[in-house]
Amino acid sequence: MLAAIINPFTDPFPGAQENIAALLWAIIALPLAGAFLCGVLGRFMGRANTNFVACATVAGSFLLSVCAVWAVGAQSTQYISPASGVPVRWALWLDLGRWFSAGDFSAHYGLTVDRLTAALLLVITGIGFLIHVYSTEYMEHDDGYWRFFAYLNLFVAMMLTLVMADNLILLFVGWEGVGLCSYLLIGFWYTDTEKAAAGRKAMMFNRVGDFAFIIGMIFLVLLLGATEKMGRETVLGRTNFTDISRARAWVSALHDQGPLNIEVLREWAYRIPPAGPKTRMGMNLDTVITTEGPLQGKTFGHVLTAALLLMLLGAAGKSAQIPLYVWLPDAMAGPTPVSALIHAATMVTAGVYLFCRLSFLLVLSPTAMAWVAMIGALTAVWAALIAFAQDDIKKVLAYSTVSQLGFMFMGVGVGVFWAAALHLVTHACFKACLFLGAGSVMHGNGDETDVYRLGGLRKEMPWTWATFGIATLAITGIVPLSGFFSKDAILHGAHTAEVLGIPWLGHTVYWIGLFGALCTAFYMTRIYVLTFEGKRAADARLPHAHESGFRMVSVLVILAFLSVVGVVWGLPDMFPGPGGEKVALMEGYLAPAMLLTDRFASSYDTVKHLHASPIPGYIVAWAVALVGGAAAWLVFRSWLPARAGKPLPAPIALFWRLARHKFYVDELYDFVIIRPFTALSRGLYSALDTWIIDRFAVGGTAAVLRRAGSWLRYTQTGNAQNYATVMAVGLLISIGVVLTWVLR
Amino acid sequence: MDGITLQHYLFLAALLFSLGVFGVLVRRNALVVFMCVELMLNASNLTFLAFARDAGMDVGHLPALFVIAVAAAEASIGLAVIIAVFRSRGTVNVDDIRTMRL
Amino acid sequence: MTTFLFYFFAILTVVAAAGVIAARSPIYSAMSLVGTFFCLAAIYALLLAHTIAVLQVLVYAGAIMVLFLFVIMLLSLGEASGPAKVTVPRVVGGIAAAALFALLVVAARPFVPVAAQTPPSFGTLQSIGAQLYTQWLAPFEAVSLLLLVAMVGAVVVAKSRV
Repeated sequence: MLAAIINPFTDPFPGAQENIAALLWAIIALPLAGAFLCGVLGRFMGRANTNFVACATVAGSFLLSVCAVWAVGAQSTQYISPASGVPVRWALWLDLGRWFSAGDFSAHYGLTVDRLTAALLLVITGIGFLIHVYSTEYMEHDDGYWRFFAYLNLFVAMMLTLVMADNLILLFVGWEGVGLCSYLLIGFWYTDTEKAAAGRKAMMFNRVGDFAFIIGMIFLVLLLGATEKMGRETVLGRTNFTDISRARAWVSALHDQGPLNIEVLREWAYRIPPAGPKTRMGMNLDTVITTEGPLQGKTFGHVLTAALLLMLLGAAGKSAQIPLYVWLPDAMAGPTPVSALIHAATMVTAGVYLFCRLSFLLVLSPTAMAWVAMIGALTAVWAALIAFAQDDIKKVLAYSTVSQLGFMFMGVGVGVFWAAALHLVTHACFKACLFLGAGSVMHGNGDETDVYRLGGLRKEMPWTWATFGIATLAITGIVPLSGFFSKDAILHGAHTAEVLGIPWLGHTVYWIGLFGALCTAFYMTRIYVLTFEGKRAADARLPHAHESGFRMVSVLVILAFLSVVGVVWGLPDMFPGPGGEKVALMEGYLAPAMLLTDRFASSYDTVKHLHASPIPGYIVAWAVALVGGAAAWLVFRSWLPARAGKPLPAPIALFWRLARHKFYVDELYDFVIIRPFTALSRGLYSALDTWIIDRFAVGGTAAVLRRAGSWLRYTQTGNAQNYATVMAVGLLISIGVVLTWVLR
Repeated sequence: MDGITLQHYLFLAALLFSLGVFGVLVRRNALVVFMCVELMLNASNLTFLAFARDAGMDVGHLPALFVIAVAAAEASIGLAVIIAVFRSRGTVNVDDIRTMRL
Repeated sequence: MTTFLFYFFAILTVVAAAGVIAARSPIYSAMSLVGTFFCLAAIYALLLAHTIAVLQVLVYAGAIMVLFLFVIMLLSLGEASGPAKVTVPRVVGGIAAAALFALLVVAARPFVPVAAQTPPSFGTLQSIGAQLYTQWLAPFEAVSLLLLVAMVGAVVVAKSRV
């Protein structure tokens, strides 16, 4: 089995598709059932049982995920794609039936596992399980433990839905589900208004992204519909569909599986190539859409780019990039295991996963790639600069996450998807280790998060110190730890990338990324120095810190171990790749998932990577990391303590103040967006709600009825004779009606 | 009947009925109101009998018979009610018996 | 002859009816009503409704009016009451009565009298009885039940609280 994971091309498990694919639903169902049990019966089951149920379900998911990973290690594990009739290798597929259909649109409950999903499955269930174990000790004094584990299990289930979905609609279900769980868990201690507000902020910014995502999906649906229509009706379109049986398969899958099925999208991309010298006759991305509707007059390529940019906005919301990153630092109001799982390892990587999944679309649009890369690069540097001056250890780690996600987006934008995925995996390990280490520090110091009130924990909390130190080395990118190779694979990819029509992209991203690596080294070393080195601060909360218990420490050790051994996946040019040349292990592992992407990139020259040796780049990056780390060490160990009492030089002080206030971005958003909105809402409330609806419609109706009622009351005199009069008048009228009208 | 047609009887019955309605709606004494109700019943009886005579079918007398019987029953109960009201309120003036007022 | 008798009794009936509604004292109203009943009985006889005429005198004038007079005398309600108050409902009631009269007259106009031949046994006791106890037995029994209920009810309602 180990060979299956390391060597991508062995053939160990015949019959995998039939047996293991049938169990894919259980990977999601187990944590879902756990969430239900913990939520409904948690209080009656007691703490120990709830802990067991929660951890056991995730452990079960992990075991099943290992089976799935084992299965996709073999070339014989394949399924026939419904959209093309061509077998898809190294992948599992389970179609649980149609979910809904409305007119031409339909969606299925389909689960698929390929190499990319496999990597993420291990991360989610493995690190998820470790964090569940950690939480059993971290939350041992909290009364809402049953709620916590229910939400946590639900989160794992939703994230698994996201990565295993075979169409974008089901992916979006998982997308929104993790957003929901994020909200629930950030605001876990909801009785504190600030914490609840942090949860709400996360939800709001996520929703902005979700909205953009939905519009992007709609564009794709319209795009595929237009393609089918033009393929049937126009002469030009018919030349794209001359292979009858395969085209027929695509059309029937378009109607049955739905236009947002990944296989269907793949076939579409296969049929509609970019315009260029190698492109065959027929429709291509420069063809103008002639069908009636909102897409008329635009080219396929423009619509595709628009859809991808909208999805970028959606991913920016979920993965905390500019302009929607501001919720992540506030999200540190939630319990630390939540920050570790959701805001370091899994949910925030959903954006990166989305782009890796849709990589075959992304490489068709150089414009979108440039946007993704630049947003990622700018976010990486911006967040790193903010992290310089934060005193709260969790906030620093939050900004660090934003920055590292920027790196991943950079990787996606320049076309090295395998490097971005690798960084995703390694980052999950060491960032979770860092967060849980911070949690351990808090647990042992009376929930203290201000680093200026910590210090000297090296002796008092040895295990935490060691694991935190290892993880810090990993993130700053010191050889031979894993973070180095993954980050520098991205940088190398950026350096050697040539994106069609945008020649400056690769180099710009590279230099920005290098600066970001320098900043990463600086702020992480700062935090490490201030927390663990030196003497204990005078105004610490507790006189002595105590080391955390076995459950927490063991998880830290495992994660630190993974941070170290993850290096195996990033070592360059060691393993045979798909084209025969030697590539890094992760690249080779993910190659089957990226087949179409690689083919597009090479056939249409939209993004090319020059073959250059990565070694010089590695040396530069290593030097940068060492310089950054050493600078931080010197500044915070020697320089600043020596200058105690003296003010900082003016430019540094100014920068420090700006960085501490997060460059006033929150204030800007508040001023430009929130305040006008609140004013509008208040205006509408007082004008529309209070006046027109409350006073006029509701109150007015009541007043009219009251008047009419009190007026009509005068007929109820109590005098039977008056009643008789009324009856007589009524009789009169009815006789009159009968005489004149009925008996004409 | 020479010269006296159905219409004459109907006219008389209408007159009696209207006089009865007038009395019911205008008089203050509950007993007088009751008597006017009897007047109305008699007017309807007259109508029945006039039509029976005109059509030559004496089966029309039977409803009139029943009306008389029902009027008897109604009179007994109504007077019992008036007695009870007089006993509790001391008056039979309809303007003073206003218990059904809102 | 019939014409004279009809007009004679008709005018008497109307005068008596007017007396019912216009009399100040309830006793005068009651006596006027008795007169009305007698005159109506005569008119019923003109309509060849012999049985009904007799029953009118027996039951209406003989029983119901006696009951009325009993109650008036028992409760000493014989004094004349003051002038009637002119209120809006009363005016409306008066107008309604007048309008009702007009409508009824208009409604009665289209009827074309047939003036069918009547057999000698028209309206006799034998004829009425034959139909009453065969075809109309159910309503007959129902009415007798009604009278029983009325009797019991009257006793219950008028009983003084013990």
